[in-house]
Amino acid sequence: MSDFIALVELQVPAAVPAASAEPGLAPGWLGRALESVVVWIVLLLAWWVASVHLPLGDNPLLPSPLITARALWESLPELWAGTLSSLTILIPGFALATLLGIVSGLTVGTSARLQRIFLPFAKVAGPVPPTVYIPYAIAILPTFKLSAIFVVFIGAFWPIFQNAVAGAHALGQRYRDNARILGLTRFEYQRRVVFPAALPHIFTGMAVGLAFSFILLTVAELFGANAGLGRFVQYYADFADYPKMVAGILYTGLVTFLAMTILDGVRRRSLFWLK
Amino acid sequence: MSPGLKLEGVGFAYDTTQVLQDINVTIPEGQFVSLLGASGSGKTTLLRLAAGLDPVDSGRLTWNGAPIVGPSLERGVVFQDYALFPWLSVVDNVEIAIAKAKPTVRKAERLAEAARYLGGLGLGAAIGKYPGELSGGMRQRAAIARALALGSPLLLMDEPFGALDPVNRARLQDLLLEVWEVATPRKTIIFVTHDVDEAIYLGDRLVVLGSSPGRVIADLEVPLQRPRERRSLLDSHSLHALREQVSATLVQDTLQRLKAA
Repeated sequence: MSDFIALVELQVPAAVPAASAEPGLAPGWLGRALESVVVWIVLLLAWWVASVHLPLGDNPLLPSPLITARALWESLPELWAGTLSSLTILIPGFALATLLGIVSGLTVGTSARLQRIFLPFAKVAGPVPPTVYIPYAIAILPTFKLSAIFVVFIGAFWPIFQNAVAGAHALGQRYRDNARILGLTRFEYQRRVVFPAALPHIFTGMAVGLAFSFILLTVAELFGANAGLGRFVQYYADFADYPKMVAGILYTGLVTFLAMTILDGVRRRSLFWLK
Repeated sequence: MSPGLKLEGVGFAYDTTQVLQDINVTIPEGQFVSLLGASGSGKTTLLRLAAGLDPVDSGRLTWNGAPIVGPSLERGVVFQDYALFPWLSVVDNVEIAIAKAKPTVRKAERLAEAARYLGGLGLGAAIGKYPGELSGGMRQRAAIARALALGSPLLLMDEPFGALDPVNRARLQDLLLEVWEVATPRKTIIFVTHDVDEAIYLGDRLVVLGSSPGRVIADLEVPLQRPRERRSLLDSHSLHALREQVSATLVQDTLQRLKAA
Protein backbone atom coordinates (compact mmCIF):
# COMPACT_ATOMS: atom_id res chain seq x y z
CA MET A 1 0.00 0.00 0.00
CA SER A 2 2.73 2.43 0.89
CA ASP A 3 4.37 1.94 -2.48
CA PHE A 4 1.11 2.77 -4.08
CA ILE A 5 0.74 5.90 -2.03
CA ALA A 6 4.22 6.92 -3.05
CA LEU A 7 3.27 6.32 -6.64
CA VAL A 8 0.14 8.42 -6.43
CA GLU A 9 1.90 11.15 -4.49
CA LEU A 10 4.63 11.26 -7.07
CA GLN A 11 4.25 14.62 -8.70
CA VAL A 12 6.34 16.70 -10.99
CA PRO A 13 8.26 18.80 -8.50
CA ALA A 14 7.50 22.37 -9.50
CA ALA A 15 10.86 24.02 -9.17
CA VAL A 16 13.29 21.23 -8.42
CA PRO A 17 16.68 22.49 -7.35
CA ALA A 18 17.96 20.61 -10.37
CA ALA A 19 19.07 23.93 -11.77
CA SER A 20 21.55 24.24 -8.93
CA ALA A 21 22.78 20.69 -9.55
CA GLU A 22 23.56 21.65 -13.11
CA PRO A 23 25.58 24.80 -12.80
CA GLY A 24 25.69 27.28 -15.62
CA LEU A 25 22.53 27.69 -17.64
CA ALA A 26 19.26 27.44 -15.76
CA PRO A 27 16.53 26.82 -18.35
CA GLY A 28 14.11 29.67 -18.98
CA TRP A 29 10.35 29.20 -19.02
CA LEU A 30 10.45 28.09 -22.64
CA GLY A 31 13.12 25.51 -21.89
CA ARG A 32 11.15 24.21 -18.94
CA ALA A 33 7.99 23.97 -21.03
CA LEU A 34 9.91 21.96 -23.61
CA GLU A 35 11.32 19.65 -20.94
CA SER A 36 7.87 18.87 -19.65
CA VAL A 37 6.59 17.74 -23.08
CA VAL A 38 9.70 16.03 -24.41
CA VAL A 39 8.49 12.53 -23.48
CA TRP A 40 5.20 13.18 -25.27
CA ILE A 41 6.92 14.34 -28.41
CA VAL A 42 9.31 11.37 -28.50
CA LEU A 43 6.50 8.86 -27.92
CA LEU A 44 4.28 10.48 -30.52
CA LEU A 45 7.10 10.43 -33.09
CA ALA A 46 7.94 6.80 -32.30
CA TRP A 47 4.25 5.89 -32.62
CA TRP A 48 3.97 7.68 -35.93
CA VAL A 49 7.17 6.16 -37.35
CA ALA A 50 6.19 2.67 -36.21
CA SER A 51 2.68 2.86 -37.67
CA VAL A 52 3.91 4.17 -41.02
CA HIS A 53 6.98 2.04 -41.54
CA LEU A 54 6.29 -1.28 -39.83
CA PRO A 55 4.39 -3.89 -41.86
CA LEU A 56 1.45 -4.27 -39.48
CA GLY A 57 -1.23 -5.36 -41.94
CA ASP A 58 -4.56 -3.88 -43.02
CA ASN A 59 -6.08 -3.49 -39.58
CA PRO A 60 -3.03 -2.85 -37.44
CA LEU A 61 -3.12 -3.22 -33.67
CA LEU A 62 -1.20 0.03 -33.76
CA PRO A 63 -3.26 2.47 -35.84
CA SER A 64 -1.43 5.62 -36.88
CA PRO A 65 -1.87 8.77 -34.78
CA LEU A 66 -3.93 10.41 -37.51
CA ILE A 67 -6.36 7.52 -37.84
CA THR A 68 -6.65 7.36 -34.04
CA ALA A 69 -7.28 11.08 -33.85
CA ARG A 70 -10.06 10.77 -36.43
CA ALA A 71 -11.55 7.85 -34.52
CA LEU A 72 -11.39 9.90 -31.32
CA TRP A 73 -13.16 12.82 -33.00
CA GLU A 74 -15.88 10.59 -34.41
CA SER A 75 -16.36 8.84 -31.06
CA LEU A 76 -16.53 11.97 -28.94
CA PRO A 77 -20.34 11.95 -28.56
CA GLU A 78 -20.26 8.28 -27.63
CA LEU A 79 -17.31 8.78 -25.29
CA TRP A 80 -19.06 11.73 -23.64
CA ALA A 81 -22.15 9.62 -23.04
CA GLY A 82 -19.86 6.91 -21.70
CA THR A 83 -18.20 9.43 -19.37
CA LEU A 84 -21.56 10.50 -17.96
CA SER A 85 -22.52 6.87 -17.46
CA SER A 86 -19.23 6.13 -15.71
CA LEU A 87 -19.53 9.19 -13.51
CA THR A 88 -22.92 8.04 -12.22
CA ILE A 89 -21.01 5.07 -10.80
CA LEU A 90 -17.79 6.78 -9.80
CA ILE A 91 -19.20 9.85 -8.04
CA PRO A 92 -21.67 8.10 -5.70
CA GLY A 93 -19.18 5.34 -4.89
CA PHE A 94 -16.26 7.67 -4.24
CA ALA A 95 -18.35 10.26 -2.38
CA LEU A 96 -19.82 7.62 -0.08
CA ALA A 97 -16.35 6.15 0.52
CA THR A 98 -14.98 9.62 1.34
CA LEU A 99 -17.79 10.46 3.74
CA LEU A 100 -17.84 7.14 5.57
CA GLY A 101 -14.07 6.73 5.40
CA ILE A 102 -13.45 10.08 7.07
CA VAL A 103 -16.18 9.81 9.70
CA SER A 104 -15.37 6.25 10.70
CA GLY A 105 -11.61 6.72 10.37
CA LEU A 106 -11.56 9.75 12.67
CA THR A 107 -13.96 8.14 15.13
CA VAL A 108 -11.88 4.98 15.35
CA GLY A 109 -8.59 6.89 15.26
CA THR A 110 -9.45 8.91 18.37
CA SER A 111 -10.65 6.00 20.50
CA ALA A 112 -8.31 3.34 21.86
CA ARG A 113 -11.22 0.96 22.43
CA LEU A 114 -12.65 1.32 18.91
CA GLN A 115 -9.16 0.72 17.56
CA ARG A 116 -8.91 -2.53 19.52
CA ILE A 117 -12.27 -3.56 18.12
CA PHE A 118 -11.96 -2.52 14.48
CA LEU A 119 -8.31 -2.41 13.48
CA PRO A 120 -7.71 -6.19 13.56
CA PHE A 121 -10.63 -6.55 11.15
CA ALA A 122 -9.46 -3.66 8.97
CA LYS A 123 -6.03 -5.21 8.75
CA VAL A 124 -7.50 -8.31 7.15
CA ALA A 125 -10.32 -6.79 5.11
CA GLY A 126 -8.41 -3.74 3.84
CA PRO A 127 -5.78 -5.44 1.67
CA VAL A 128 -8.24 -7.76 -0.11
CA PRO A 129 -8.08 -6.74 -3.80
CA PRO A 130 -11.52 -5.22 -4.35
CA THR A 131 -11.71 -6.66 -7.87
CA VAL A 132 -12.49 -10.07 -6.40
CA TYR A 133 -15.82 -8.71 -5.12
CA ILE A 134 -17.02 -7.78 -8.60
CA PRO A 135 -18.63 -11.05 -9.74
CA TYR A 136 -20.23 -11.56 -6.35
CA ALA A 137 -21.50 -7.98 -6.18
CA ILE A 138 -23.03 -8.35 -9.64
CA ALA A 139 -24.71 -11.59 -8.63
CA ILE A 140 -26.02 -10.27 -5.32
CA LEU A 141 -27.17 -6.72 -6.09
CA PRO A 142 -30.27 -6.11 -8.25
CA THR A 143 -28.68 -3.86 -10.90
CA PHE A 144 -25.25 -3.63 -12.49
CA LYS A 145 -25.04 0.05 -11.53
CA LEU A 146 -25.54 -0.71 -7.85
CA SER A 147 -22.93 -3.45 -7.83
CA ALA A 148 -20.40 -1.24 -9.62
CA ILE A 149 -21.04 1.61 -7.14
CA PHE A 150 -20.56 -0.86 -4.33
CA VAL A 151 -17.25 -2.11 -5.70
CA VAL A 152 -15.94 1.44 -6.29
CA PHE A 153 -17.02 2.26 -2.74
CA ILE A 154 -15.14 -0.70 -1.24
CA GLY A 155 -12.01 0.10 -3.24
CA ALA A 156 -11.94 3.77 -2.24
CA PHE A 157 -13.11 3.25 1.34
CA TRP A 158 -10.13 1.39 2.81
CA PRO A 159 -7.35 3.76 1.80
CA ILE A 160 -9.39 6.74 3.01
CA PHE A 161 -10.32 4.99 6.25
CA GLN A 162 -6.77 3.91 6.96
CA ASN A 163 -5.32 7.32 6.24
CA ALA A 164 -7.98 9.03 8.36
CA VAL A 165 -7.06 6.70 11.25
CA ALA A 166 -3.39 7.51 10.71
CA GLY A 167 -4.15 11.23 10.58
CA ALA A 168 -6.15 11.14 13.81
CA HIS A 169 -3.29 9.15 15.34
CA ALA A 170 -0.66 11.66 14.27
CA LEU A 171 -2.50 14.52 16.04
CA GLY A 172 0.06 16.38 18.16
CA GLN A 173 -0.15 16.25 21.94
CA ARG A 174 -0.30 20.04 22.06
CA TYR A 175 -3.46 20.19 20.00
CA ARG A 176 -5.05 17.60 22.25
CA ASP A 177 -4.01 19.55 25.36
CA ASN A 178 -5.32 22.72 23.81
CA ALA A 179 -8.67 21.19 23.02
CA ARG A 180 -8.94 19.95 26.60
CA ILE A 181 -8.05 23.33 28.04
CA LEU A 182 -10.63 25.02 25.85
CA GLY A 183 -13.14 22.42 27.03
CA LEU A 184 -14.22 21.35 23.54
CA THR A 185 -16.94 18.72 23.39
CA ARG A 186 -16.16 15.47 21.63
CA PHE A 187 -17.98 16.60 18.49
CA GLU A 188 -16.30 20.04 18.44
CA TYR A 189 -12.98 18.32 18.99
CA GLN A 190 -13.57 16.03 16.02
CA ARG A 191 -14.84 18.77 13.73
CA ARG A 192 -12.54 21.67 14.57
CA VAL A 193 -9.33 19.92 15.65
CA VAL A 194 -9.00 16.28 14.57
CA PHE A 195 -10.55 16.67 11.11
CA PRO A 196 -8.45 19.64 9.93
CA ALA A 197 -5.30 18.20 11.51
CA ALA A 198 -5.88 14.89 9.71
CA LEU A 199 -6.70 16.53 6.36
CA PRO A 200 -3.22 16.04 4.83
CA HIS A 201 -3.49 12.31 5.55
CA ILE A 202 -7.08 12.21 4.36
CA PHE A 203 -6.17 13.76 1.01
CA THR A 204 -3.45 11.16 0.54
CA GLY A 205 -6.06 8.48 1.16
CA MET A 206 -8.48 10.17 -1.23
CA ALA A 207 -5.86 10.28 -4.00
CA VAL A 208 -5.21 6.56 -3.61
CA GLY A 209 -8.95 5.93 -3.34
CA LEU A 210 -9.68 7.90 -6.51
CA ALA A 211 -7.05 6.01 -8.49
CA PHE A 212 -8.54 2.74 -7.19
CA SER A 213 -12.01 3.97 -8.12
CA PHE A 214 -11.04 4.38 -11.76
CA ILE A 215 -9.42 0.96 -11.87
CA LEU A 216 -12.46 -0.69 -10.33
CA LEU A 217 -14.89 1.30 -12.42
CA THR A 218 -13.34 0.25 -15.71
CA VAL A 219 -12.86 -3.34 -14.61
CA ALA A 220 -16.46 -3.55 -13.40
CA GLU A 221 -17.67 -2.15 -16.71
CA LEU A 222 -15.91 -4.98 -18.54
CA PHE A 223 -18.24 -7.38 -16.73
CA GLY A 224 -21.70 -6.15 -17.44
CA ALA A 225 -22.11 -2.51 -18.38
CA ASN A 226 -23.96 -1.34 -21.47
CA ALA A 227 -22.21 2.06 -21.43
CA GLY A 228 -19.15 3.65 -19.91
CA LEU A 229 -15.45 4.19 -20.50
CA GLY A 230 -14.24 0.65 -19.75
CA ARG A 231 -17.15 -0.72 -21.70
CA PHE A 232 -16.26 1.45 -24.72
CA VAL A 233 -12.73 0.05 -24.90
CA GLN A 234 -13.88 -3.55 -24.44
CA TYR A 235 -16.68 -3.19 -27.00
CA TYR A 236 -14.46 -1.95 -29.84
CA ALA A 237 -11.73 -4.43 -28.95
CA ASP A 238 -14.31 -7.18 -29.44
CA PHE A 239 -14.99 -5.80 -32.93
CA ALA A 240 -11.25 -5.40 -33.63
CA ASP A 241 -11.85 -1.66 -34.17
CA TYR A 242 -8.41 -0.74 -32.89
CA PRO A 243 -8.47 2.97 -33.78
CA LYS A 244 -11.54 3.44 -31.55
CA MET A 245 -10.10 1.19 -28.88
CA VAL A 246 -6.87 3.20 -28.70
CA ALA A 247 -8.89 6.42 -28.77
CA GLY A 248 -10.89 5.10 -25.83
CA ILE A 249 -7.72 4.31 -23.88
CA LEU A 250 -6.30 7.78 -24.47
CA TYR A 251 -9.62 9.41 -23.57
CA THR A 252 -9.91 7.40 -20.34
CA GLY A 253 -6.39 8.40 -19.42
CA LEU A 254 -7.31 12.04 -19.94
CA VAL A 255 -10.45 11.78 -17.79
CA THR A 256 -8.49 10.10 -14.98
CA PHE A 257 -5.83 12.77 -15.17
CA LEU A 258 -8.44 15.52 -15.00
CA ALA A 259 -10.10 13.93 -11.97
CA MET A 260 -6.79 13.62 -10.14
CA THR A 261 -5.94 17.22 -11.04
CA ILE A 262 -9.25 18.46 -9.65
CA LEU A 263 -8.67 16.53 -6.41
CA ASP A 264 -5.17 17.96 -6.14
CA GLY A 265 -6.55 21.47 -6.64
CA VAL A 266 -9.06 20.92 -3.84
CA ARG A 267 -6.24 19.60 -1.65
CA ARG A 268 -4.10 22.67 -2.27
CA ARG A 269 -6.96 25.01 -1.50
CA SER A 270 -7.92 23.17 1.68
CA LEU A 271 -4.38 22.89 3.01
CA PHE A 272 -3.33 26.47 2.35
CA TRP A 273 -2.45 26.81 6.05
CA LEU A 274 0.08 23.99 5.89
CA LYS A 275 3.65 25.15 6.15
CA MET B 1 -12.04 27.48 51.83
CA SER B 2 -8.70 29.06 51.13
CA PRO B 3 -8.46 31.25 48.04
CA GLY B 4 -5.78 30.67 45.44
CA LEU B 5 -3.82 27.62 44.40
CA LYS B 6 -2.71 25.23 47.11
CA LEU B 7 -0.30 22.31 46.73
CA GLU B 8 -0.05 20.05 49.77
CA GLY B 9 2.51 17.26 49.58
CA VAL B 10 1.98 16.96 45.82
CA GLY B 11 3.93 14.19 44.08
CA PHE B 12 3.97 12.85 40.54
CA ALA B 13 5.77 9.89 39.02
CA TYR B 14 6.30 9.06 35.37
CA ASP B 15 6.71 5.29 35.10
CA THR B 16 9.24 4.63 37.87
CA THR B 17 10.79 8.11 37.85
CA GLN B 18 9.70 10.41 40.65
CA VAL B 19 9.25 13.70 38.79
CA LEU B 20 7.84 15.76 41.66
CA GLN B 21 8.08 15.00 45.37
CA ASP B 22 6.30 16.55 48.32
CA ILE B 23 5.61 19.98 46.85
CA ASN B 24 4.07 22.37 49.36
CA VAL B 25 3.24 25.79 47.99
CA THR B 26 0.33 28.15 48.51
CA ILE B 27 -0.22 30.84 45.91
CA PRO B 28 -2.75 33.52 46.90
CA GLU B 29 -5.07 35.00 44.29
CA GLY B 30 -3.61 37.86 42.28
CA GLN B 31 0.01 36.85 42.81
CA PHE B 32 2.51 36.61 39.95
CA VAL B 33 4.73 33.63 40.70
CA SER B 34 7.81 32.79 38.65
CA LEU B 35 8.57 29.09 38.71
CA LEU B 36 12.28 28.53 38.14
CA GLY B 37 14.38 25.43 37.77
CA ALA B 38 16.82 23.55 35.61
CA SER B 39 15.45 21.47 32.76
CA GLY B 40 14.13 18.20 34.11
CA SER B 41 13.11 19.70 37.43
CA GLY B 42 9.43 19.11 36.73
CA LYS B 43 8.37 22.71 36.10
CA THR B 44 6.22 21.78 33.13
CA THR B 45 4.82 18.77 34.98
CA LEU B 46 3.80 21.01 37.87
CA LEU B 47 2.02 23.31 35.44
CA ARG B 48 0.23 20.42 33.77
CA LEU B 49 -0.98 19.22 37.16
CA ALA B 50 -2.27 22.70 38.00
CA ALA B 51 -4.00 22.84 34.60
CA GLY B 52 -5.65 19.49 35.27
CA LEU B 53 -4.06 17.90 32.19
CA ASP B 54 -2.50 15.18 34.38
CA PRO B 55 -3.77 13.91 37.75
CA VAL B 56 -1.57 14.12 40.86
CA ASP B 57 -0.21 10.82 42.18
CA SER B 58 -0.07 11.88 45.81
CA GLY B 59 -0.98 14.87 47.94
CA ARG B 60 -3.67 17.47 47.41
CA LEU B 61 -3.96 20.11 44.73
CA THR B 62 -6.77 22.62 45.09
CA TRP B 63 -7.90 25.81 43.39
CA ASN B 64 -10.01 28.02 45.67
CA GLY B 65 -10.56 25.03 47.93
CA ALA B 66 -11.80 22.64 45.24
CA PRO B 67 -9.61 19.71 44.15
CA ILE B 68 -8.34 19.97 40.56
CA VAL B 69 -9.57 16.90 38.69
CA GLY B 70 -9.42 18.03 35.08
CA PRO B 71 -9.00 21.04 32.79
CA SER B 72 -11.35 23.94 33.43
CA LEU B 73 -11.96 27.40 32.03
CA GLU B 74 -10.91 28.66 35.47
CA ARG B 75 -7.33 27.93 34.47
CA GLY B 76 -5.95 29.14 31.15
CA VAL B 77 -2.68 27.83 29.76
CA VAL B 78 -0.11 29.34 27.39
CA PHE B 79 2.36 26.82 26.04
CA GLN B 80 5.90 27.44 24.86
CA ASP B 81 5.17 26.20 21.34
CA TYR B 82 2.26 28.58 20.67
CA ALA B 83 -0.20 25.75 20.04
CA LEU B 84 -2.60 27.89 18.08
CA PHE B 85 -4.59 25.84 15.60
CA PRO B 86 -2.80 26.53 12.29
CA TRP B 87 -5.97 25.86 10.24
CA LEU B 88 -7.87 28.67 11.98
CA SER B 89 -7.19 32.36 11.41
CA VAL B 90 -5.84 34.24 14.41
CA VAL B 91 -9.22 35.80 15.19
CA ASP B 92 -10.94 32.40 14.93
CA ASN B 93 -8.35 30.94 17.29
CA VAL B 94 -9.40 33.49 19.89
CA GLU B 95 -13.10 33.28 19.05
CA ILE B 96 -13.14 29.55 19.74
CA ALA B 97 -12.02 30.33 23.31
CA ILE B 98 -14.68 33.00 23.75
CA ALA B 99 -17.30 30.62 22.36
CA LYS B 100 -16.50 28.21 25.20
CA ALA B 101 -16.22 30.90 27.88
CA LYS B 102 -19.39 32.76 26.85
CA PRO B 103 -21.59 30.34 24.90
CA THR B 104 -24.60 32.66 24.92
CA VAL B 105 -22.87 35.55 23.15
CA ARG B 106 -23.61 35.81 19.43
CA LYS B 107 -20.91 34.92 16.92
CA ALA B 108 -20.54 38.47 15.54
CA GLU B 109 -20.00 39.81 19.06
CA ARG B 110 -17.55 37.03 19.85
CA LEU B 111 -15.52 37.93 16.78
CA ALA B 112 -15.56 41.60 17.76
CA GLU B 113 -14.41 40.70 21.26
CA ALA B 114 -11.64 38.49 19.86
CA ALA B 115 -10.52 41.39 17.67
CA ARG B 116 -10.43 43.63 20.79
CA TYR B 117 -8.19 41.18 22.66
CA LEU B 118 -5.88 40.89 19.67
CA GLY B 119 -5.81 44.65 19.24
CA GLY B 120 -4.82 45.01 22.90
CA LEU B 121 -1.80 42.83 22.22
CA GLY B 122 -0.81 44.78 19.13
CA LEU B 123 -2.20 42.32 16.60
CA GLY B 124 -5.02 44.48 15.29
CA ALA B 125 -3.69 44.38 11.75
CA ALA B 126 -3.12 40.61 11.75
CA ILE B 127 -6.47 39.25 12.90
CA GLY B 128 -7.30 37.68 9.53
CA LYS B 129 -3.92 36.02 9.16
CA TYR B 130 -3.10 32.39 9.82
CA PRO B 131 -0.54 31.33 12.45
CA GLY B 132 1.81 30.08 9.73
CA GLU B 133 2.01 33.61 8.33
CA LEU B 134 3.08 35.16 11.63
CA SER B 135 6.43 35.51 13.37
CA GLY B 136 7.07 33.64 16.61
CA GLY B 137 6.48 36.76 18.67
CA MET B 138 3.15 37.49 16.98
CA ARG B 139 2.01 33.91 17.43
CA GLN B 140 2.80 34.09 21.11
CA ARG B 141 0.85 37.33 21.42
CA ALA B 142 -2.10 35.58 19.83
CA ALA B 143 -1.71 32.65 22.24
CA ILE B 144 -1.76 35.08 25.16
CA ALA B 145 -4.80 36.83 23.71
CA ARG B 146 -6.56 33.48 23.55
CA ALA B 147 -5.67 32.62 27.15
CA LEU B 148 -6.92 36.06 28.28
CA ALA B 149 -10.09 35.63 26.25
CA LEU B 150 -10.93 32.50 28.23
CA GLY B 151 -11.31 34.89 31.18
CA SER B 152 -9.56 32.47 33.53
CA PRO B 153 -8.62 33.92 36.92
CA LEU B 154 -5.54 31.64 36.94
CA LEU B 155 -3.08 31.80 34.06
CA LEU B 156 -0.46 29.08 33.67
CA MET B 157 2.38 30.00 31.34
CA ASP B 158 4.99 27.44 30.30
CA GLU B 159 8.09 29.27 29.06
CA PRO B 160 5.88 31.32 26.76
CA PHE B 161 8.75 33.51 25.58
CA GLY B 162 11.37 30.75 25.48
CA ALA B 163 11.59 30.63 21.70
CA LEU B 164 11.76 34.39 21.11
CA ASP B 165 14.70 36.63 20.34
CA PRO B 166 15.81 38.99 23.17
CA VAL B 167 14.11 42.10 21.79
CA ASN B 168 10.76 40.44 21.25
CA ARG B 169 11.14 38.74 24.56
CA ALA B 170 11.57 41.99 26.46
CA ARG B 171 8.71 43.57 24.55
CA LEU B 172 6.35 40.73 25.40
CA GLN B 173 7.45 40.72 29.06
CA ASP B 174 6.49 44.38 29.30
CA LEU B 175 3.24 43.75 27.47
CA LEU B 176 2.34 40.90 29.81
CA LEU B 177 3.02 43.03 32.91
CA GLU B 178 1.02 45.88 31.44
CA VAL B 179 -1.98 43.66 30.73
CA TRP B 180 -1.72 42.02 34.13
CA GLU B 181 -1.30 45.24 36.15
CA VAL B 182 -4.30 47.09 34.70
CA ALA B 183 -6.77 44.25 35.23
CA THR B 184 -8.97 44.25 38.34
CA PRO B 185 -8.96 41.88 40.05
CA ARG B 186 -5.49 40.84 38.99
CA LYS B 187 -5.09 37.37 37.61
CA THR B 188 -3.04 34.80 39.42
CA ILE B 189 -0.13 33.84 37.17
CA ILE B 190 2.32 30.98 37.38
CA PHE B 191 5.07 31.70 34.91
CA VAL B 192 7.54 28.89 34.19
CA THR B 193 10.97 29.94 32.97
CA HIS B 194 14.58 28.95 33.28
CA ASP B 195 15.77 32.51 32.80
CA VAL B 196 16.59 34.01 36.22
CA ASP B 197 16.35 37.64 35.04
CA GLU B 198 12.98 37.05 33.43
CA ALA B 199 11.73 35.35 36.60
CA ILE B 200 12.78 38.30 38.77
CA TYR B 201 11.59 41.02 36.39
CA LEU B 202 8.11 39.55 36.11
CA GLY B 203 7.36 37.89 39.43
CA ASP B 204 6.18 38.92 42.89
CA ARG B 205 7.73 35.73 44.11
CA LEU B 206 10.20 33.10 42.94
CA VAL B 207 9.62 29.43 43.54
CA VAL B 208 12.76 27.48 42.63
CA LEU B 209 12.60 23.77 41.89
CA GLY B 210 15.55 21.42 42.30
CA SER B 211 15.80 18.34 40.15
CA SER B 212 15.70 14.56 40.54
CA PRO B 213 13.18 14.50 42.05
CA GLY B 214 11.62 17.93 41.55
CA ARG B 215 11.12 19.67 44.89
CA VAL B 216 11.05 23.25 46.16
CA ILE B 217 14.57 24.38 47.07
CA ALA B 218 13.88 28.09 47.44
CA ASP B 219 10.82 30.30 47.84
CA LEU B 220 11.63 34.02 47.77
CA GLU B 221 9.80 37.33 47.65
CA VAL B 222 10.90 39.74 44.92
CA PRO B 223 11.45 43.07 46.76
CA LEU B 224 10.93 45.28 43.72
CA GLN B 225 8.28 48.01 43.35
CA ARG B 226 5.72 47.94 40.58
CA PRO B 227 5.37 49.21 37.93
CA ARG B 228 8.87 48.05 37.18
CA GLU B 229 11.23 50.00 35.03
CA ARG B 230 13.58 47.77 33.10
CA ARG B 231 16.32 50.38 32.75
CA SER B 232 16.56 51.38 36.40
CA LEU B 233 16.28 47.76 37.53
CA LEU B 234 19.55 47.00 35.78
CA ASP B 235 21.39 49.00 38.47
CA SER B 236 19.23 47.88 41.36
CA HIS B 237 21.18 46.32 44.20
CA SER B 238 18.33 44.09 45.34
CA LEU B 239 17.99 42.64 41.84
CA HIS B 240 21.66 41.73 41.76
CA ALA B 241 21.56 40.22 45.22
CA LEU B 242 18.50 38.16 44.37
CA ARG B 243 19.96 36.99 41.09
CA GLU B 244 23.14 35.88 42.86
CA GLN B 245 21.16 34.02 45.48
CA VAL B 246 18.97 32.19 42.97
CA SER B 247 21.85 31.35 40.66
CA ALA B 248 23.86 29.98 43.59
CA THR B 249 20.92 27.84 44.67
CA LEU B 250 20.54 26.43 41.16
CA VAL B 251 24.26 25.75 40.79
CA GLN B 252 24.38 24.04 44.16
CA ASP B 253 21.45 21.81 43.16
CA THR B 254 23.19 20.86 39.93
CA LEU B 255 26.42 20.04 41.75
CA GLN B 256 24.57 17.86 44.24
CA ARG B 257 22.88 16.01 41.43
CA LEU B 258 26.19 15.42 39.65
CA LYS B 259 27.74 14.15 42.88
CA ALA B 260 24.85 11.75 43.40
CA ALA B 261 25.11 10.39 39.88
